Amino acid sequence: MAETATLTDSRRFFFLYDSSKVQEEVDLTRDGIYYFSPEDTPIDQQELLCGQLAGVCRCVSELSSSPVRLLHLRKSKYAVRMKDKFLWALSCVVDIPDVSVCDLLDQLIALFCFYNGPVRQSYQLYSKQELALRWARYLCHLQGGSTELHHIFSCLRTIDSTHIDPLLLLKAALILQACQRCPLVLAGCILYRGRVVSTQMPPALTVKVMVYETQTYSQDFQVTANGLSSLVGSPFSSTATTQVFLMPTELHMLRCPPVDRACRSHCNQPPCQPSRSRLLSRTLSDTPTTDTDSSSLDPTHCPPPSYKTVPSSPRSSLSDELCFSPSPSRVNTPIHSNLMNQSEYFTPDSHVHSTSNGTNLCAVEEHLAGLNIKQDIDANSGSETKSNGLNSDQDIQSEEIKAPANGYEQSNCLDNHSDLDSQIKSEENKLDANNHVTNKNGNGETEEEAKTKSKQINRKLKEKNEPTNTPSPHETLEDTSLVPLVLYQHRVKGLVLALLVEPEFITDHSAREEVHHSSLASLNGLEAHLRNTSPGTPGPPGPYTFAHYDCIQNTLTTNVCGRSVGPQDQAFVKATKLVHSHFSRLDTLQEAIVRNASSAVYGTRTTAQETYFLQQGTPVRNSGSPDPQDSAFSLPRKARLRLLKHGVNLL
Amino acid sequence: MKCLLLANESAEVLFYWTDTEFEQRVQEQYGLPAFEDSINTLFAPIIISCSTMVDRLGDNYTSFSTENNHIYVLHQFEECLYIAVNGDGDETEEDLKRKIFVMKKLTEIMFGMVTFSGALLRKELRPQDTEQRNRLWKKLRSLLETYSRLRENDQSFLVEAVERLIHPTLCEQCIEFLERRLVQQINSNMDRMGEEVLHAFILVHTKLLAFYSSRNASNLYSSDLLALIILVQDLYPSKINLDETSEELESSSVPEVFYTPEPSPPERESGDKNMAEDSLQTLEAPTPDPSAPSRVFLESKECPMPHSMYCLPLWPGITLVLLTKIPNSHVATSVCYFLEAFVKLEKRLCEGHEGAAAMRGQPSVQEQRSRLEKLIKTWAGMDIQTSQLQNAWTDFKNKAFSRSGSGFTRDLLPSCRNMKTQLCGVYRQFFAAECMGSSQRLAPHLQERALSMVQEKLMDWKDFLLVKSKRNITMEFPGLIHFIYVDRSNGQMIAPSLNVTDRTVSELGKGPLADFIKKKVWSLVATAQRYLQKGYATVTLRDGDYFYCYFLWFENETGYKLEVIDIPSSPDDGAPVGMLTCDYYRKLLRYYSKKHQNEVVKCYELFTVHLGVIPNEYILQHCSQLARKLWEPTRIPLL
Repeated sequence: MAETATLTDSRRFFFLYDSSKVQEEVDLTRDGIYYFSPEDTPIDQQELLCGQLAGVCRCVSELSSSPVRLLHLRKSKYAVRMKDKFLWALSCVVDIPDVSVCDLLDQLIALFCFYNGPVRQSYQLYSKQELALRWARYLCHLQGGSTELHHIFSCLRTIDSTHIDPLLLLKAALILQACQRCPLVLAGCILYRGRVVSTQMPPALTVKVMVYETQTYSQDFQVTANGLSSLVGSPFSSTATTQVFLMPTELHMLRCPPVDRACRSHCNQPPCQPSRSRLLSRTLSDTPTTDTDSSSLDPTHCPPPSYKTVPSSPRSSLSDELCFSPSPSRVNTPIHSNLMNQSEYFTPDSHVHSTSNGTNLCAVEEHLAGLNIKQDIDANSGSETKSNGLNSDQDIQSEEIKAPANGYEQSNCLDNHSDLDSQIKSEENKLDANNHVTNKNGNGETEEEAKTKSKQINRKLKEKNEPTNTPSPHETLEDTSLVPLVLYQHRVKGLVLALLVEPEFITDHSAREEVHHSSLASLNGLEAHLRNTSPGTPGPPGPYTFAHYDCIQNTLTTNVCGRSVGPQDQAFVKATKLVHSHFSRLDTLQEAIVRNASSAVYGTRTTAQETYFLQQGTPVRNSGSPDPQDSAFSLPRKARLRLLKHGVNLL
Repeated sequence: MKCLLLANESAEVLFYWTDTEFEQRVQEQYGLPAFEDSINTLFAPIIISCSTMVDRLGDNYTSFSTENNHIYVLHQFEECLYIAVNGDGDETEEDLKRKIFVMKKLTEIMFGMVTFSGALLRKELRPQDTEQRNRLWKKLRSLLETYSRLRENDQSFLVEAVERLIHPTLCEQCIEFLERRLVQQINSNMDRMGEEVLHAFILVHTKLLAFYSSRNASNLYSSDLLALIILVQDLYPSKINLDETSEELESSSVPEVFYTPEPSPPERESGDKNMAEDSLQTLEAPTPDPSAPSRVFLESKECPMPHSMYCLPLWPGITLVLLTKIPNSHVATSVCYFLEAFVKLEKRLCEGHEGAAAMRGQPSVQEQRSRLEKLIKTWAGMDIQTSQLQNAWTDFKNKAFSRSGSGFTRDLLPSCRNMKTQLCGVYRQFFAAECMGSSQRLAPHLQERALSMVQEKLMDWKDFLLVKSKRNITMEFPGLIHFIYVDRSNGQMIAPSLNVTDRTVSELGKGPLADFIKKKVWSLVATAQRYLQKGYATVTLRDGDYFYCYFLWFENETGYKLEVIDIPSSPDDGAPVGMLTCDYYRKLLRYYSKKHQNEVVKCYELFTVHLGVIPNEYILQHCSQLARKLWEPTRIPLL
């Protein structure tokens, strides 16, 4: 009995099971197992778990006419997603809040779809083994490395801004905004050593973009994204493009962020006309003259919504953000007829080249121009082989680039061409329709104004419904409507500029050049500054513990250190879990104080944030009977006072 | 959409209860002619998967939830699997778990130690005779519905503590009357047929007016008292959640329904609460014998002891309850002693201990052996079937003690289990209601006499008591919306009434606000219990326009507040926090008392709801004053 008793307690399982493969008596359960983690789990145990859980889930979902969401066991719990004939299940220990493990599973599935497109289709195109590598990587990205608190809130990992010159953060934001001047660039983020420095994307997207970066950083090694990427460059500076898939809602948010339309004036120039004269990278002093326009903007216009994650610091919004936010690229960029033509795609010129310092760029360019694609890749893999950090997995990975991936590019992307076209068109149509409607109701408002307003309203509604910014499960699983886009990544040592760009960006040589050249110097500068910033040895921990979670930006500020968790911190984390769980269940709950003999924790929340606070040291001894002198009840006052210096305003 | 189901390991349904909505849904989906077959088909895969998980992974499901918020809660007690389902959002996972534990408690009250053996429990819950089974299931379903009704409407079932009527003088008079007049008279009467009244109490609706225990009675635990109130409420339901029209109807035209001595429940208020099975509704049980007692098994230090319970309705809403000791009840103790010995032996054999090690922690084998020999001989002379027990014993002896047998090894396990079953069988023959001679009871005239004596005594108080039960205590603090104060040491609570639909206006008035507050109070208690389960004894919450507090603390007998301790947090699949099931607070008190061995430890809880606009300092001051003020009434002895 209990052959795997220890196994289920301590290990976290994740599996993807396709019940359409197991319908007859003779069908083997293992045929339905697409992926099972940990992969070294004996196959009969995999079969046992998948078989039992899938069976029970089917039975329950039939009776309730609804997919199963959670399975609790005595020693573990599973978040479950059922879609079509697929079943995903992710386990964790029982004391992780339900809402957290469900979020994690949704993120995981969304991550897979982001890089691979619809699940069913991915499994038609690739072998289970290939996709297993990717699942493993996504799992590792979401689960690995972060503290328990990060798991509870499933939040982004950001750099510790308390030790960073705020000007650097501003600079990062400016780099992103500058990139957006190229109309093909939708939004971007800057990461340093696997942590967010600045982002323009909603948190759910930022987390997806970070996957490879986190791993690349952690192994100090050049990883091509999945098979779809192309890559050029030295280990220190390189660019890569990857095909990715966005949900229509995500894309809509990127293509039509509710920015102030008045800013459009900057960007109304023809999209594909690169303006060499303008340096995209700018410093603070480099204030464009046109931006003075913004001062005359209609004051009633709301500032653009800021998903901008300014890491670990609640004091964010750049005051002049408005001026620097160009409108997004136009939706109706014509698609190049030769979009996915392989030769063009792989013309070295179309890659953005990289150098370590950017001064001899032209020379390198000329040099590279003479290379053909094969040499390109050979050179690339050659350099990989040279770096000794390789392990066998990564070798396999680099092999992949050469063989099946390119095949996929050819077949899939070509096939998708017309789809893509029509999808984008339909997106346009939707927008137009939207526009018309608002216009009709607009009563004399200009089209632009009406549009802006309606979007602001939409956004507000959206935020209300999804305070965590996690895509709703149904969105995630709407495989069929995923829209292909391209993720462009430019690496300068530990620093990565990641941009979500329109597919044409790949073929638009001049656009790539423009983005690359103009951001390179600033990225180099930023990287140097960040590198020289001391990693921030945490000062003597205060006589208190706190965690501040920003639900909108999905970031966490805390003074709980990663690994060395003392008893007070454990008490803090335990209470935080419970209260967070309570907040997530009860919308009207604003604050809570919970205490046991050794600790008292205060939690408070608004629609935008949750804050938890513990005063260290055993509370003054008392009986626990109602007593106004009880130190636990002074926590709200102390929290307000203490957290001000961390930029958390609880007033 | 609700359902509760008991199944054994071979996926056989031992009992089920569904509401009409659930039944309809199942019928639509499966449409088998017999509803029971549909239920069987439906749950079989889940039940089978449960045992696979236990056998092969050493883990088991505790709950499922779906995207449309249907909840399934599962709990395995020995060989019996309980599944509770909710699909209408009325109940939380915690509520369902509690319901399962209450169902378990009710089977223990009804069948006592028989529940220790899966095979016997199956026999008990699924009698071969269809009519008998329908009668039993109807009873169980009715009990379950009564419990749900009380849990939804009655604060004492919300916090699982008995509410007392606060009238010290009357209370004292009644106790004296029960002791000197009533119990003494019955116990000295020749027609009591060998029974002896151990406990007597008077209930006004669910509230306790007076409670008397005779000197040689063992303690009646709060969990049992609460369970007994469910039984009484099932026989004579209070009108707590009837709407006005039906209330008027009842008070004007059919009050005599409460005077009828028949212990069959009067009509329920609405159709949707009736049980699902059509076949049951058409089958009317034969009119039960009005003076027949109910068999109840109550906890004692040694084992579940059989008692007879007599419910004598004084007036509508006021009931006298007598608990008697029945002849031969001492047999229960000895059966239990040996049952426990075999359970221990089985456990040690399973763990791989053999020979003398298997019997460690028990008195000498020879001594036990001869004691059991003697007992079996005595029982054989007592007019019950003991041949199976004798065979099992012979088999056990051959294996355990003879040279040719296996001795105390794993091979002994089957014989050991058989002995357990046979001992439970003896217990059943002695005490199960239907096995005992149907004539065993206090003589009817004695019951009638008791009834009229108490009626006479309380005649002038009757109306006062009924009103008092609705307005037991009033509040004086401005900004205080509601409170509940519980003394966990004696399992009693005090709270202003929250009668939402009753015609008598409660402290909060009636209508949507009162209903809203009631929901808030219910959720406050659930929340507090969840935090307590994780070890937090103080919780304050700001939720919407209200501020909620929860405190749990310990005092010694003189009211000195003892130091707070770290309360161990219990696992999610453990018993729910409460007193009705697995008495959490009794364990908590025992845990605390280990550190305070030289004094009596008391445990108190206070739940409050205040208006959120009141500054915290004042709220906390209120709470502190309230606790002091309420402490006084609990000093008045009930016994």
